[in-house]
Amino acid sequence: MSVPLVTQKRLSEGLTVTSKVFVRSRNGNASKIVREHYLRNDIPCLSRSCNICQTIISPNAQGELQKFVLNENPLKLKEISAHYVVIDTNIILQSIDLLENVEVFYDVIIPQTVLDEVRNKSFPIYTRIRTLVSDDTKRFVVFHNEFREDTFVKRLENESINDRNDAAIRKVAEWYQNHLPNINIVLITNDRDNKAKAIKQGIKYVKTLYEYIELYPNANHLKDLIPEETNFQKRSDEKFFQDYYSTARLMGGLKNGTLYQGAININSYNFLEGEITIPSLPKPLLILGSESLNRAFNGDSVIVEILPKSQWKKPSSLVIDDDNLNSNDDPDSNSPQDSINDKERRLLTQEAIQSQTDASEIQPTGRIVGIVKRSWRLYVGQIVSNSVSKSNTNSAKSCFVKLMDKSLPRVRIKTRRATELLGSKIVVAIDSWGTSSKFPEGHFVRNLGTSESVEAETEALLLEHDVEYRPFAKTVLDCLPAEGHDWKVPENLNDPEILKKDPLLPKRKDYRDKLICSIDPPGCVDIDDALHAKRLPNGNYEVGVHIADVTHFVKAGTPLDAEGASRGTSVYLVDKRIDMLPILLGTDLCSLKPYVERFAFSVIWELDENADIVNVEYNKSIIKSREAFSYERAQIRIDDATQQDDLTKGMRILLQLSKKLKQKRLDAGALNLSSPEVKVHMDSETSDPGEVEIKKLLETNSLVEEFMLLANISVARKIYEEFPQTAMLRRHAPPPSTNFEKLNDMLRVKKNLSISIESSKTLADSLDRCIDPADDYFNTLIRIMSTRCMMAAEYFSSGSYGYPEFRHYGLAVDIYTHFTSPIRRYCDIVAHRQLAASIGYESLDLSHRDKDKMERVCKNINKRHRNAQFAGRASIEYYVGQVMKNNESEETGYVIRVFSNGIVVLVPKFGVESLIKVEELTNEVNSIDFKEDEYSLSFKNKNGNLRSIGVFDKVTVEVKSELDKSVGKRKAVLVLK
Amino acid sequence: MSRFEIYSPEGLRVDGRRWNELRRFECRINTHPDSSDGSSYVEQGNSKVICIVNGPMEPSSKAEMSTSKATLKISLNVTPFSSIDRKKRSKNERRIQEIVTSLKRTFEQSIIVNKYPRTTISITLHVLALDGGLLSSITNAITLALIDAGIAMYDYISSVSAGFYNNTPLLDLNQLEESDVSFLTIGVVGKSEKLALLLLENKIPLDQLESVLAIAIAGGHRIRDLMDKEVRRHGDLRLSKLANK
Repeated sequence: MSVPLVTQKRLSEGLTVTSKVFVRSRNGNASKIVREHYLRNDIPCLSRSCNICQTIISPNAQGELQKFVLNENPLKLKEISAHYVVIDTNIILQSIDLLENVEVFYDVIIPQTVLDEVRNKSFPIYTRIRTLVSDDTKRFVVFHNEFREDTFVKRLENESINDRNDAAIRKVAEWYQNHLPNINIVLITNDRDNKAKAIKQGIKYVKTLYEYIELYPNANHLKDLIPEETNFQKRSDEKFFQDYYSTARLMGGLKNGTLYQGAININSYNFLEGEITIPSLPKPLLILGSESLNRAFNGDSVIVEILPKSQWKKPSSLVIDDDNLNSNDDPDSNSPQDSINDKERRLLTQEAIQSQTDASEIQPTGRIVGIVKRSWRLYVGQIVSNSVSKSNTNSAKSCFVKLMDKSLPRVRIKTRRATELLGSKIVVAIDSWGTSSKFPEGHFVRNLGTSESVEAETEALLLEHDVEYRPFAKTVLDCLPAEGHDWKVPENLNDPEILKKDPLLPKRKDYRDKLICSIDPPGCVDIDDALHAKRLPNGNYEVGVHIADVTHFVKAGTPLDAEGASRGTSVYLVDKRIDMLPILLGTDLCSLKPYVERFAFSVIWELDENADIVNVEYNKSIIKSREAFSYERAQIRIDDATQQDDLTKGMRILLQLSKKLKQKRLDAGALNLSSPEVKVHMDSETSDPGEVEIKKLLETNSLVEEFMLLANISVARKIYEEFPQTAMLRRHAPPPSTNFEKLNDMLRVKKNLSISIESSKTLADSLDRCIDPADDYFNTLIRIMSTRCMMAAEYFSSGSYGYPEFRHYGLAVDIYTHFTSPIRRYCDIVAHRQLAASIGYESLDLSHRDKDKMERVCKNINKRHRNAQFAGRASIEYYVGQVMKNNESEETGYVIRVFSNGIVVLVPKFGVESLIKVEELTNEVNSIDFKEDEYSLSFKNKNGNLRSIGVFDKVTVEVKSELDKSVGKRKAVLVLK
Repeated sequence: MSRFEIYSPEGLRVDGRRWNELRRFECRINTHPDSSDGSSYVEQGNSKVICIVNGPMEPSSKAEMSTSKATLKISLNVTPFSSIDRKKRSKNERRIQEIVTSLKRTFEQSIIVNKYPRTTISITLHVLALDGGLLSSITNAITLALIDAGIAMYDYISSVSAGFYNNTPLLDLNQLEESDVSFLTIGVVGKSEKLALLLLENKIPLDQLESVLAIAIAGGHRIRDLMDKEVRRHGDLRLSKLANK
């Protein structure tokens, strides 16, 4: 591609215009693009030792000047003395963790060329770099070399864009060196070619990352963090995987419909089997075996081709994990592991034979031919002990890291501290996975601590679920009211001084005379909601729900709002809470604590005797809660007939109305599903987990719940009416019938029952009919299993779906949102702002009126919500493991799934489920008979008696907790009795 | 997610301008002296527009004639090769019709139409290249061509667009910015702060509108000065020709 001659034109002193010309391919067509490009000479070097640049800068729209952050006395190192660093793109992409490390990298210059390249390659890394730049402590600056006249580099004829960019980066180093003669400029690049050219060009200090880190005193421990470019030599030319197709072929294939794109979802029971849902195919595409998976990670966005029909199969009924398959690999050798591959192959052959016999259930299979976007992040894992060589030299050695996420392969890293890190949870980053390597290659990032210690486990699970748990940044905390904990609702609402500060104050309603109380779990400090009720003279009831007015403090567009939006939700672990908003707001200023005045957002209904809404009103308000009850204390107070004060009377009205509301909801077909949720009791002194208890519900729980649902529904209608395109809503899609096929079939075969899913009403009714007279728990078990067949509820903006699809299936309402917990959910904050705008309180921020931006917000909070749930469950699982460690016992369990080589048993008491493999059931593997259509497995047990186990069977198991040495993860182990 | 930093924290836009800078603005008048009564050529950044004015003249049909004032006929041709992806646009396309209507309304107020009763003024526009600011470059081209044709106007109409992004008003958007930023286009009357044209198709918060309008008006004044310079340059040229005769 040749580059046409580009003209330059001087507009005025210090401003020249030129154009960028390039050819872009879009949808397979090439189009020529010409863009204007202005070159100027008022771009400062941002060094405090420079006197010239201070005079050339101009203010932004807010009248602020750019800050000069590069230190006048930068760090001195041997050989290069006082220096600034200019970094190349590959350094940022490969070792962003090292750049964030507090020990190294101060006074760093990032050329704009590099920043743009990073942005195009990886947006998350770009945001991290931007955070580094906005945070002054590490003194990172962005130098807009592309816009500065004397650093702009023209692309030469027949020069590739990468070469031009490299030249631009070298130019930056050269310019800085001339501009600041007293400070040495070090160019860091891992690109050999670039380095050679830089030296030739006369740049004095050019280092690779490794050479630069080596200049630091005591840098040995830092070297582990470097992903060396030649870390893993190509030891053999043999390829384990096929090359991906070229971009052109992929684009062409996608366009003409021979290739498909989708996100891969790897089976959690079998890491060699993945599924890709493709909209144009009725059934998900199956990807079987590591060759077809072709180096894809769970969640990657990939391109697949469909295999010939002769290779179509049905999903496996086997359980395979990395442990029993690859445990003997030597990390240093890449020699073809025949034995392993054979084992793998044997498993697949077994599969193949089985699938041939039953043609009705075969699924199309595919092979991955390209990866659009990697889902790589930081992973937590543990070094596999037998992969560490015992020789005691101080050189870097390869070893395997087994990741916590079972659907991922092990990662090979090189470290000097392998022996030291054994038995610790470590964080690794993945660098690459070439065709000639059997495993992905990565590098060590951080040590979290000994596995099984509370700190390491908690941090590990937060990292694994991508929960942001670092303390709030200073820019975020700066958005809080300056008064801190002393902030108060102003006493005199008409004081002109106060009105000047808060001109919206007169729009608030004064509800301080209402008898309001809050009912929450015991020990709750972030009180989002409070209630009141009273009888009106006309016989109807006035009921109010008052929600903490978080948006009074969290204004749209502030760093605080951005942080809340990115965290999306608070995360509740057994012993810890990761807040969405700083603690000052969550537990004090916003929390509707008793006896103090607080700002609130109130929904007040007039309800008639049947709890039908006569009238509803929304207002920002000032309230004073009279009491904060726990569910239990509220229940006691309501039941105590001697209490006849107005507050208690109000609570009785609430209870009575809530029962009617609930009945109406159930009549409409609301589901009462179940999940095996348990609660861990902590010993208050030692904070050791004491016992596990299944959560129980009181009448008062449902009292609060009913009114929150009512408030959410009312608000959803109101904001949808006002903002038909961008209202923040929540929907729950009806489950596709295929989800229930298997469960229904199991029920039919085993119990002669069935579940109807025509509507939520029929589902609710049919669930009620699923009773086993011999076993009370059976109904709950079916409810738990049905819950797993359901779709997940999701946040969306109303423009994304048609009105009929707004339906919340589980609650059986036509429209729903989340409004009642703004302290811990971001959705509620948006709903608050939209409601405030719809009652004319204040105008709505533009970002909540923009369809695209709303969709982005929804996508993020859906993800965060899901991650928070997983993190919460993982935390409970860890603590249940700790409880079980101390008391082994025999418990009742239920078989919920049967595989050809194992069964899955759920133990309700602990809420744990675990796989029991056939090897543990029997000594004679050949005696196994797996009847797939009857969902049963028969085998000779260890005493030699024939035993048959089917799905839904009640079994007695011995529960104990065992530490998996290689993974360092404690898991429940069940032994069938 | 936009692939570009629309406005970087260092205060630079995608093409290297600061928030209150215009794009390169170049114009010429009397480009087609033989085939028209008035003509002009305007380049605003990479947007390029030719305007031809004929009239005041006898209307082709009596139905179009007004006894009290001149009628304006505007035809806008956005060439298929003007945008990145070649696309044929019909003159009856709704979008084009809307622009034509707002142009008509603007210039019916700015031309002293009652000086030319029973006549038609026909304005033909060709957009040769489009890189944002369609309406503003057209408006400026019409103003210049009308002046060239010697048609009486109250004052210059200078037009420019301005947007609002992340609490910063941005002046004179290019195509890339227009797709990401909500913006308005104004036509300023001469050196005053009166507007003959205001078009806002997306949303800008009411409390921010003033700051956006302020930079747009300032930008409009700068464009007026550039246009005035060209008119005077051309005027001098004609005068000297007359003097030499």
